[in-house]
Amino acid sequence: MDSSIMRWQFISHAIRAVALLALGALPANAADAAAGKAKAEICAGCHGENGISQTENIPSLAGQPDQFLQWQLVFFRAGSRKNEQMQPIVEEINNEDIRNLGAYFSQLAPPKVQEDKDPDLSKKGAQAAAGRRCASCHTDSYAGTKAVARLAGQREEYLVKALHDYKTNQRVGGAGAAMADVAYSLSEEEITALAHYLAHLQ
Amino acid sequence: MKFHQSVLALAAVALLAGTAVGLAQQQDKNKPLKKYESGTKEFWTHPPDDWFLGDETEAQKGLAPPSGPPTGASDAELANIVKKVKLPSGFKMEVYASGVLAARQMAWGDKGTLFVGSFGLGNVYAIKDKDGKKEVKTILKGLNMPTGLAFKDGALYVIAVDKLIRYDNAEANLDKLGDGKVVYDDMPSYAAHGWKYIAVDKEGWFYIPFGPPFNIGVPPTSVSQIRRVDPKTGNAEIYALGVRNSVGGDVDPRTGKFWFTENARDWISDDKPSDKLNMINKIGEHFGYPYCHQGDLPDDKFAMGHKCSEFTPPVVKLGAHVAPLGMKFYTGDQFPPEYKNNILIAEHGSWNRHKYQGARIVRVIVGPDGKNAKEEVFASGWLEGDQNYLGRPDDIILAKDGSILVADDWAGAIYRISYSKK
Repeated sequence: MDSSIMRWQFISHAIRAVALLALGALPANAADAAAGKAKAEICAGCHGENGISQTENIPSLAGQPDQFLQWQLVFFRAGSRKNEQMQPIVEEINNEDIRNLGAYFSQLAPPKVQEDKDPDLSKKGAQAAAGRRCASCHTDSYAGTKAVARLAGQREEYLVKALHDYKTNQRVGGAGAAMADVAYSLSEEEITALAHYLAHLQ
Repeated sequence: MKFHQSVLALAAVALLAGTAVGLAQQQDKNKPLKKYESGTKEFWTHPPDDWFLGDETEAQKGLAPPSGPPTGASDAELANIVKKVKLPSGFKMEVYASGVLAARQMAWGDKGTLFVGSFGLGNVYAIKDKDGKKEVKTILKGLNMPTGLAFKDGALYVIAVDKLIRYDNAEANLDKLGDGKVVYDDMPSYAAHGWKYIAVDKEGWFYIPFGPPFNIGVPPTSVSQIRRVDPKTGNAEIYALGVRNSVGGDVDPRTGKFWFTENARDWISDDKPSDKLNMINKIGEHFGYPYCHQGDLPDDKFAMGHKCSEFTPPVVKLGAHVAPLGMKFYTGDQFPPEYKNNILIAEHGSWNRHKYQGARIVRVIVGPDGKNAKEEVFASGWLEGDQNYLGRPDDIILAKDGSILVADDWAGAIYRISYSKK
């Protein structure tokens, strides 16, 4: 066990070093969050100021992982994720826009959560999340990572909608279809509990 | 940043869980076999939700297939890759085409169009010369993981999870391919290990892989096999059994026999089991899955009384989690003569390993009998540090001039590797 701890410490230091080196040496194509902000004006109508949605069934984008945001735009553009409102918008954006939008929304502070008025439901949700191994991909804090969405603090009714969309195959694309497979066997009760739990995680 | 945070988080998990790991592994042995109701109709549309997970230990938690840049690599990043990739003396790599997002299997049209399939995006591309540059056109959209392609008698064949579709006279109709004609669809509809490739043999039949819809388990009927399908009639035969996830293969120009790469199960450890290169000597051979891995490692849970000696061993063990995908016999005349009939394999690289390996092209030197194979690295440099991909090679095709093209679904690009004497 000791040796594995040493190994981990070593690896984490090594990775930090390599990551910093890689950042320093990054070719000059770094996405431009400021340009993303300008482009994002059109998004605010539905997704809210600073990427925090005030509209039912529309997700907050603030604090979502950069890659996750980019992938969704690419999926919308390719037609593998379908949405009437998004379709005309994604037809107008190029790869550079997609990178900039990802950079912009990912660096915004995620939504502040409301007080949890039903902690018992959250407890059920936490159990369901453990049983379904959601953290395997979405990380222990549910902040998401890389191409995997942040769930913590997302709008509750949107989480319900997203799980339903996966469950009924309305939404596919990405992650080797893992979400469709996970959601298929979720009960309504579990969906309600999961959404409540995740929406109230900071 | 994200990358380094998530790995640090992982390291923290490993530290916290240090004591629990040993215990958890002991308990694993006592767990009953995972049981799937694979005899139900529902199983065919909805495989188990934990299909790519397994019996992972705490230390393995957080290992998940990484996802590349959604818009592919930029020109500057591609120039960096070309600079970083190491090749044997006399070989040179250049970018053949970029913006080929999620590029997978390639196939040549008779008139010089390069067709390219894709993974989750659902696109099929056609690449043609235009004013001295390569023009990449999306010719099909919205297919379900159209990873596999073949071109035969003027028709483009696309395999998209559960349909083999033929588009006649494809090169003359790149702008209006239409819906095509489904010529074979006797396959389950799920995506889990459902992405496929096509390898055409001398009689014009297609070798097509059928992966099981999970990491490890007792495979339901009609998967964990390679079939040989006649695209003219839709007739099919089971050609090999006991195959996990094969994502590439080629017909030996010397013997006509089919060779294929196979991705072994996950979640045993960073170093086991090895992925494989196999050869089918006789129709109906069994390659061991799920009972035995890498030819000599009985599965802890799923050996179920079987011995490894019952199964066909691999031609060569390629290494753990290297993820061998597309492969080709080198039949061209441009490379040095000792490359003739060698096998070049595109290794996609790990996800189920703390320190990734693969993301390179290896060369296997082996006679037609499959004995005494030698393996060496041909091209490497797409992987930096422990888990940082610059690109991930996934398919290889020969060009007319004897150079090879390499597809990379991470960078969304096709490279050309050529040789010239000094």
